[in-house]
Amino acid sequence: MGPQHPMTHGLWTLKVKVDGETVVDTVPDLGYIHRGVEKICESRDFTKITTYCDRLCYASANTWAHSYIYAAEDLLEVEVPARAEHIRVIAVELQRIASHLMWLGAFCPDIGNLTAFVWCLREREMMMDLLQELGGSRLHYNFPRIGGVKRDLPIGFAMRARAKLNLFLDRIQETEQMLDESTVFLVRTQGVGYAKPEEMVNHGVTGPNVRAGGVNYDIRWAHPYSVYDELDWDVSVERPSIKGADCYDRYRVRVDEMRQSARMCLDALDKMPGGAETHYSEGDPMILTKARERAEEGKTGFHHFEDSRGESMFYLAGGGEQRGKHPYRISIRSPMFITIPYAARCMIGHKVADIPAIMGSFDPCIGETDR
Amino acid sequence: MKILEEYAEESAQQVVDAASTRWGGAGLDAEVRHHKSGMKRPYVFINCPKNHWRAVAKWLRFEMGADHCSMITGTHWPEGSDEKKWEVVVHLMRMNVINPPERGGWTEQVIRDPSILQDNDVPMEFEISISIPDTRNPTVQSVQEVWMGADWNEKETWDLVGIEFEGHQGMRRVLQPHDTPVGFHPLQKEHKIRYHDSEIMYDDPQGFGRKPADDGKVK
Amino acid sequence: MSDETQNYAVFNSQALIDTVGDSASAGLEASRLKKFISVLGGRFFNWGQRKSLFPLHLGIKCCALEMAAAGGSRFDAERFGVFFRSSPRQCDVMLVNGPISKKFADPIVRLWEQMPEPKWCIAMGECAISGGPYYQSYNILEGVDTIIPVDVYIPGCPPRPEALIDGFQHLRKKIMRIGTTPSTVRDDDAPIIVGDQ
Repeated sequence: MGPQHPMTHGLWTLKVKVDGETVVDTVPDLGYIHRGVEKICESRDFTKITTYCDRLCYASANTWAHSYIYAAEDLLEVEVPARAEHIRVIAVELQRIASHLMWLGAFCPDIGNLTAFVWCLREREMMMDLLQELGGSRLHYNFPRIGGVKRDLPIGFAMRARAKLNLFLDRIQETEQMLDESTVFLVRTQGVGYAKPEEMVNHGVTGPNVRAGGVNYDIRWAHPYSVYDELDWDVSVERPSIKGADCYDRYRVRVDEMRQSARMCLDALDKMPGGAETHYSEGDPMILTKARERAEEGKTGFHHFEDSRGESMFYLAGGGEQRGKHPYRISIRSPMFITIPYAARCMIGHKVADIPAIMGSFDPCIGETDR
Repeated sequence: MKILEEYAEESAQQVVDAASTRWGGAGLDAEVRHHKSGMKRPYVFINCPKNHWRAVAKWLRFEMGADHCSMITGTHWPEGSDEKKWEVVVHLMRMNVINPPERGGWTEQVIRDPSILQDNDVPMEFEISISIPDTRNPTVQSVQEVWMGADWNEKETWDLVGIEFEGHQGMRRVLQPHDTPVGFHPLQKEHKIRYHDSEIMYDDPQGFGRKPADDGKVK
Repeated sequence: MSDETQNYAVFNSQALIDTVGDSASAGLEASRLKKFISVLGGRFFNWGQRKSLFPLHLGIKCCALEMAAAGGSRFDAERFGVFFRSSPRQCDVMLVNGPISKKFADPIVRLWEQMPEPKWCIAMGECAISGGPYYQSYNILEGVDTIIPVDVYIPGCPPRPEALIDGFQHLRKKIMRIGTTPSTVRDDDAPIIVGDQ
């Protein structure tokens, strides 16, 4: 199933060995959009790397940009004010909702349900409007900055965000109802693609895929960063069958995650220090010049981040001639790079017609896989 | 929803103490470090000597419970100290994820309450740094059988940086095209990016040569 | 008669076609109808081609999300006749929406060659135009026009769905202008850059 294939959700090849209709062996072939981002970023300023990180996983750009920024702040020893942390949480969670909506909009046509594609894209447009107000562009925002965010909440953002998120919570119920009552969807996703949590974690799969297996592990509470430990939210866990988590569980986890993210955004707007209206406060314009002396050789910064697809991690090493200006080494851990071979292994024993369902339910995004 | 900081500190210190007792004589340094920004909990940093890496990995996995191999990556330090010309950095996490228990035909969810986790139950991050002295072919032992997740990480590290992993089955190019010249590992510091003090990396700079069998064919 | 080489056709149809064709052609020319029909037929085909461009279902990178959003309900591209097809044999337009790596250069040229004439190519987004932010990469070609002739460039990173629909509009105007010349002989016609006019 070659690079240009409507099922693959991205550019990669899956070589499948079949015996009749049953899948016997699979070999994924990645690297079709390997851009060498790690090498390019070795000669880019710390602020310029955010634009590359947006484009790593284009479906959830903000989560990757923030993942990088936390690692860069760890390397450069920069503190972030509390208000900026709240704004970051809002941006990240809105992006998580948009990413899951894109996933659902791409997953359902594979199952055969084209209505969900149009409905999910419509909700996603709502989220992208909110993100456009924050970040300025529709898809790649370059939103977080070292030491804070690009700019404060626009005037009226809180009102629009609350209205749109409440509308979204109603509409997602409609979409979920349509899918849960659709026999075709249920038959195609239940009982397909079993995966057990211990095996998943051993393979390196994390995130919603593990939570679908019945364990409530989430980096946002396990290794807390930002203000997640002060917000009011629950971890979305499913209760799988004995054989493991199937595609239906993974779908349910993501829909529930969307609801929790909406709840987190509304809560962050309520708990914002300084109020949710625009509140101009002086940042520190010399923050990066001061940082030049800090990122010398031997200093490293890394950060595990709960991305929409799993656990993403950035590792930055300082040193070299351009210390303080460019990172010496930037290493990116992509959850999908590890999940795709695992998902390919889950398919063995199922029929060829189950391949889109299994692959889609693991939510592949090839941009982050082939950095 | 908070893991108590004291428990996390205690747990990290326990790991460091156990590591120093068990492996201190072999030249392993372990310490508790704190992130300067971002994560609010400590992590364990281990400086592991090269020849004990596989044994230390097994100990970490089975005794200390680090069940998730997050990333294995490498760096080339051509101007580093003599012991550290190449560095392999491994990030692990202790997640304590278990299969949900079965009760009469159904499974029960494993819900952990963060505030009561203690000792080896506390989720923990590990950073292990392995220094390799100057050599044309840096090698390190492979931990493919300890964590399955290490498999593709090691493939990527070999593909991009050039560090070989002894005992790794099925090493191949994963991100670069399969017909990349042998010995071309772009993240080594002697290769520069295009238009930046560039030397031509290998003799097909645009790299779009079509396969000779397909020349002149109209499909 | 059991002669196996006998042609069982009732009559030699090639001769019939030639005769009827010649006489019809002469008759039409005499009444000046032939030119009228050919011009009308050509205009009809051109109208059909430009009003229903079928792009290839190829999503390389971020611009593919904007392509999908253009197909969604807010910026509906289907009302312009644009309908995505999965098989390259059934498409007119190849919408290149991402950087081309060395590994993908060969497949994309194969896809291009699999598309039947007349075909057009739209380079969408900075990565397809010139390599984009990755122009310094060791693995990315500097633009898809190094391997495929491009007709319309749509700048942006990523271009908004409205820009993509505008790009299709420019392509339609170009088809109206140059007709259906095969893609290999279109070199002297400068490609359009959306935003210049």
